[in-house]
Amino acid sequence: MNKKALTIGWLMVLPGCLFVVFFMLVPLFLLVFRTFFDEGGSFTLNGYWEMFQSTYFQQVFVRSLKLSLISTAICALLGFPSSYYIAKYSRHKGMLMAFAVFPMFTSPVIRSFSWIVLLGKKGIVNSALMTIGLTSKPISILYNEVSMTIGFIQLFLPLMILSLIGVMENIPEDLNLAAGSLGATKLGTFRHVVLPLSIPGLVTGSVLVFTGCLTAYTTPQLLGGTDTRVLATVIYQYAMSLGDWTQASIVAVVMIVVTVCVSSGINGISRRLNPTI
Amino acid sequence: MALLELQDITAGYDKNVILKNLNLQVEKGELLSLLGSSGCGKTTTLRLIAGFSEPMSGKFLFDGKDYTHVPLHKRNFGFVFQSYALFPHMTIFDNVAFGLRMRKCSSSEIQNQVMETLELVDLKGYEKRFPKELSGGQRQRVALARALVIKPDLLLMDEPLSNLDAKLRVKMRVEIRKLQQKFGITAIYVTHDQEECFAISDKVAIMNQGIIEQLDTPDRIYNRPNTEFIAHFVGFENFLDLTSAEGGYTGADGSFFRADAPQKQGRLKACIRPEDIQIAPLGTDVPNRLDGQIMVETFLGKRYQYNVKTALGEMVVSADQEHIYHSGESVTLSLASNKIILL
Repeated sequence: MNKKALTIGWLMVLPGCLFVVFFMLVPLFLLVFRTFFDEGGSFTLNGYWEMFQSTYFQQVFVRSLKLSLISTAICALLGFPSSYYIAKYSRHKGMLMAFAVFPMFTSPVIRSFSWIVLLGKKGIVNSALMTIGLTSKPISILYNEVSMTIGFIQLFLPLMILSLIGVMENIPEDLNLAAGSLGATKLGTFRHVVLPLSIPGLVTGSVLVFTGCLTAYTTPQLLGGTDTRVLATVIYQYAMSLGDWTQASIVAVVMIVVTVCVSSGINGISRRLNPTI
Repeated sequence: MALLELQDITAGYDKNVILKNLNLQVEKGELLSLLGSSGCGKTTTLRLIAGFSEPMSGKFLFDGKDYTHVPLHKRNFGFVFQSYALFPHMTIFDNVAFGLRMRKCSSSEIQNQVMETLELVDLKGYEKRFPKELSGGQRQRVALARALVIKPDLLLMDEPLSNLDAKLRVKMRVEIRKLQQKFGITAIYVTHDQEECFAISDKVAIMNQGIIEQLDTPDRIYNRPNTEFIAHFVGFENFLDLTSAEGGYTGADGSFFRADAPQKQGRLKACIRPEDIQIAPLGTDVPNRLDGQIMVETFLGKRYQYNVKTALGEMVVSADQEHIYHSGESVTLSLASNKIILL
């Protein structure tokens, strides 16, 4: 590459870099920085220590982690077969993919409100359950962890499906035939060939879904109750209702650390299943 | 009785029929090649035998049993893909061991057989590598080992050498032939490379537009083609329209030819290779004479090729460099009577 092209190249990436540095890296650094100092300006870990001592925060922390992991697992389970079908067998790939991402075209607020209508005491779900006799009185599936999980899954399943389709489409059909000719049943082919080769998509999808769930604000705010707060809603509570920006920052840092840890954890597991990625 | 028999197989996708009432027999222990240009149905035939697809109608018998609807994983046929289709996430050892694992062999048995087979294809020491760390030729041998280790009843190969360079191709085809003969495996080999096909096969089936035009030994295909298509395919470049006459055949201009092949009656087509026509100065007294004028001479290194205009059409003649003729010169051609093929 000649010098001129290099200069132009740098000029082209400069606006993006400046934006990221000033509006993301600097604020992030300030945010992390302030959590380690008390009002007097001396270094302390007390903020974190006190936070993790509080039972309330412990509950919120565990709940956030739990709901995000459960939603990720269910998205993987639901997404895998549909992605495989769309990628390998469907003749209407484009249409089915459009259906899969269709929920993303509306805002999470509208979707959450729809769930409130559907899941309420007199909603369709409860009426249906009572009609077929599975329950005699309405079960409570709104404003708790169930409705939040349902909301998360609907919100983030498209991300899982898109990530998986991208990877599955690139698995050559010859590999399935080769496994079959070597004596593998359909299930064996799936277990030994399709699944391990889909791992990269599963990793991308899981990381996207997990971070999405952990950081989502609207869905848990609208579909959760006051006793089912998660990290994202707690940050809002600290910052806006209590005006305690230090506490809010600490929760934010915890959230970032959890995201990074879980993402690398997912990566580690997948590397075991498929050592070549 | 033949080990493998296809009876009136018709196959295709949707309304697109690729094979039409195909019949084929393969004897135990022989290597049969399916040869033809792309789109002739050779790969479809192979995939059908492998069990990757099912025919629209017809029957596939193997060892006397109806295999038409036997599922892929129960056939015990080895398949070598053009793309090799090695499992990218498995080591070479695991790739080769795959078939044995599916058969629930014990781990000591797997260890022994995999190592034995890898040694056979000269890949000992590579078992811990991954496919992407191997060269094309090595991958090809892994694919072969993977198909052989299950002791297949039938070995199917779909243009297994077409992704290798010319030198390696020649080497590998000898290797494949050696292994096939060593174990007496019945094999079907699909290729569009004529030389490769003749070199490796016991029998060759030449396919054209979904049917088998001729099934024969390589030398009979090469020397005694049955149809004009095959004659073209195996390098006959000169075709003559003749009519039978007393003791021979006459051309449209009245020229007379004798052929060693048994006499046929009526109008027919004859063909001859460029190297089986002698070229001499005009007026030379030669048998099976045909006069003409040189249109183009082409230097091919060892030999010269002449395109000669004659009363029976343009003839392609290949001659040595003893005497070189030039375009515009009139010459006399002599068609070797023992090399004229009557179609």
